Parts: sequence; C-alpha cells; structure tokens
Amino acid sequence: MAEPKKRGLLGCSFPVLIVVAVIVLAIVVIGFLSGSIGQAMFHIDFPSWLVVEKPAIHLAAPEIFNVFGIPITNTILAGWVTVIFLVLFSWLITRRMKLVPGRLQSVFEFLLGWIYNFCESVAGRENGRKFFPVVCTIFLFVAFNAWLSLIPGFGSILINSHGSEHELLRGANTDLNTTLAVAFVSFVFVVYNGLKSIGISWLKQYFNFGPLFRSIGGIFKGKLNFMDIFSGIVNVAVGLLEWLSLFIRNVSFTFRLFGNMTAGEILVLIAAFIFPLAVNWVVYILELFVGFIQALVFAGLTLVFVTMAVSSHEAESHKDLKNSEKEVLKEGI
Amino acid sequence: MGGISELGINWGVLVTQVVTFVILLVLLRVFAYKPLMRMMDERSKRVKDSVEQAEAVKEQSAKAEEELKKQLEQASREGQERITRAVKAGEEVKQKAEEEAKRETEKLIVKARSEIRQERDAAITEVRREFADLTVLAAGKVIEKSLDKEEHRELIDKVLEESSTLKKE
Repeated sequence: MAEPKKRGLLGCSFPVLIVVAVIVLAIVVIGFLSGSIGQAMFHIDFPSWLVVEKPAIHLAAPEIFNVFGIPITNTILAGWVTVIFLVLFSWLITRRMKLVPGRLQSVFEFLLGWIYNFCESVAGRENGRKFFPVVCTIFLFVAFNAWLSLIPGFGSILINSHGSEHELLRGANTDLNTTLAVAFVSFVFVVYNGLKSIGISWLKQYFNFGPLFRSIGGIFKGKLNFMDIFSGIVNVAVGLLEWLSLFIRNVSFTFRLFGNMTAGEILVLIAAFIFPLAVNWVVYILELFVGFIQALVFAGLTLVFVTMAVSSHEAESHKDLKNSEKEVLKEGI
Repeated sequence: MGGISELGINWGVLVTQVVTFVILLVLLRVFAYKPLMRMMDERSKRVKDSVEQAEAVKEQSAKAEEELKKQLEQASREGQERITRAVKAGEEVKQKAEEEAKRETEKLIVKARSEIRQERDAAITEVRREFADLTVLAAGKVIEKSLDKEEHRELIDKVLEESSTLKKE
C-alpha cells in the first residue's frame, strides 16, 4: 500500500474547496453590497427580499392580545415557549429515568448536577439542597430564554394586532417585566429564607433602632453619653444603607439582564442591517455565550445573597461570600 | 409614570411573568428536580452500598484466607507429627523384630549345640560299647581257636574289618 495522499485542505479536495470558497465569497460580497454600507456606496438594486429594512427598536414589548384585561405581550409568549420547552424536555427525560443513564439523560444530569454542585459549594450541603430548585430554575429560565430566542425564525414570525405588525415572539429577557419578575422572585426567595432561618431578628440589619433608643432612654435616667447616641445614629444609618443595597441589588439584577439581552438583540438586528448574511454567526456565538453567563450570574448572585441571608450574623462567612459575590460579578462583566 | 411605561414596565405583564416563573418552578420541581434528586440519591446510595459490600467481601475473603492458611498450617503440622510418629513406630517395630530374631537365633543355636553335644555323646557311647563288644568277641575268638601267629594276625584283621563295617553302618 502506498502512503495515502494528502488531499487538498480541510479534508476537502481542491475543486470542492474552491467551490465552497467561491460561495462564501459570494455571500460576503452580496451581504456587504445589500447592507446599508454597500447600499450607500454603490446603490446596486437588489430584489426586495434581500434588502434588510431599517430595524425599529422598541424597548417596550408590544401587546399581542388581551386576556381578562391582562395584556399578553410577545415576550410573555416567548416565556411560555421556554416553560413548555423546559417542562416537556425534562418530562421526556425523567419519565423513564434509568440508573445507568442514556445519552440524553446524561446531558440532563450533567447540566443539573453541575448547578447542584455549584449550590452545594457555595451554600453548603444542606442549604445547597434547599436552594437548588429556585437557583436552578432561574438559571434554566434565563439561559433558555436567551438561547431559544437565537433559533432562526424565532423573531421573524410577524403577526398583525392592533393595526400594526409585531413579532409573535421576542426573547423574554429583553422585556424589563421579565427580568424584574425574576429579580422579584429572587428577592422574595432571599427574604423568605432569611426570615425563616434567622427569624425576625434578620430584620435588625435593616431597622437597627435599638442602640439609639437605649441611649436616648439613658438621657432620662440621667446618663448622658454622646458616644452612645452617635453610634446609635450610625447604626440607623447603616440600616438605611442596607435598604439601599437591597434596592440596588434588585435594580442591578433587573437592568443587567435586560441590558445585556436587549443589547444582544439590537446587535443581531444591527449586524443584519449593516452587513447581512456574513457577520451574524459571530454575533450568534457571542450571544450564546452571553446568555449562559447572564444566567449564571443571575442564579449565582441569587445563591450568594440567599446564603448571606441565612448566615448573616457570622462575620467570617459574610466576608467569604462578599468575595464570592465579587467573583461571580467579575465573571458576568 | 411616563418614563417607566416608556421602558415597558406594566403591572399586568410583570405579574404574568412572576406567575409564569412560579409555574415553571413548580413544574420543574415535579418533572425535573424531584426525579433527578431521587435518582442521584439512589445512585449515591447504590455506590455507597456496593462499596461497602465490596469492602465486606474483601474483609471476608481475607478472613477466609487467613483461616485457610491457619488450617493448612495445622494440617501440615499434624501430618508432620503423624509421619514422625509413624517413623518412630516403624523403628520400634523393626528393633523389636530384630531383637526377637536375634533371641530366636540364639535359642536355636543353643538348642542345636546341645543337640550336637547329645548326639556326640551318644555316638561316643555307642562306639565304646561296640568296641567293648568287639574286644570281647576278639578275645573269645582267640580263646576258641588258639592258633599260631599267622592265624592270629589273620584273625585280628578280620575283626578289624568287621568292626570297620560296623562303624560304617
């Protein structure tokens, strides 16, 4: 047997490679010429289906129809698509769980097991198990909202409602209502667990009037101590700062996800407008990654906050968690 | 409120999304997390069980091996002992047999010797008696015939010949 000849490049023979290169080049050239820059430079007439319209960007999601006075927007529909997809997918897999997993079950178990281990490593064994469902749901909901909206055709089905044309589906993360809703769930989750594990004294970090009242009471007993009054006022101010941080946390939750996702959507639109056909796949890879990171940040921060809430009086772990919070944020940015 | 509604925040949509999320949470809990947890727990339990079992089997086999070793050792020791004992017994038997044989031989020799002696004594006695008879006979013959010297000689020869034939018998 003679030594097998090396054929062409990239596993293709040369003629095939040349054909592929020509097609790619043609796509790039047509894309460039039909995009806005090419149009502005050369004014070549293309059939109308090749020319991308100027994208119109709405921050507010348009209402598609109305149920009992509740507006159903296209982002709500997209959220429902995600819900149906996730539930159907997990039902199909867990319907016949096997001790020795098949291929699909392995993937499923790998993903969820990974999140589970993440919960355990941050919150400890017992708490990790308790927090896992909510954290995992946040991760899955955010991630699949982002990824499903990348499926071709997702945003291009148009429907006529209220006299104007709208997309039937739009990535649920690009609606502030969705991100605010998830942030709200996360907030309720944190507060609930804080109150449940530490009790009413958990609220002391937000309403710390005790020392101030005690020192004021001291005045009537004839013991006037300015230091006590001062530190009491500082405690109250710290409580106010905690309130502020709680508020900002949720706002940042909401707007980080909304901003990242909306920016991604706009980036896809703009890339399609300026340089159609050729550039979007790069943006798509970027968006897949961004969706994953945002889901991880949202779920991870929720996990960190809830862990902080259930252990808020242990200064040591508090410090550690502050660090892990920073790490999660760094990853997200 | 103009600013917020520009961003698209709407109470109805917000509540709907919260409800959607909660529904997703509940459904996933039923369809994903619970079965998964059960499966993972069962698997870890299985693994733990099988590891424990393997450990137990290992221990048991080690114990059995030791037992076997001990038994083998004992058996070999016993066998050795038995062989030693048998050899010793054989030795004893041999010695005894030898002694017996020696004694028997000696007895036989003694008996043979005494028999020989008896035989010899008997023979001597016989010869004596014969000789006396012969002498008497010879004397009788001498008296009966009173012969000359020549005849005398002849007579003695005759007697001697007769006696020798007698002795031979």
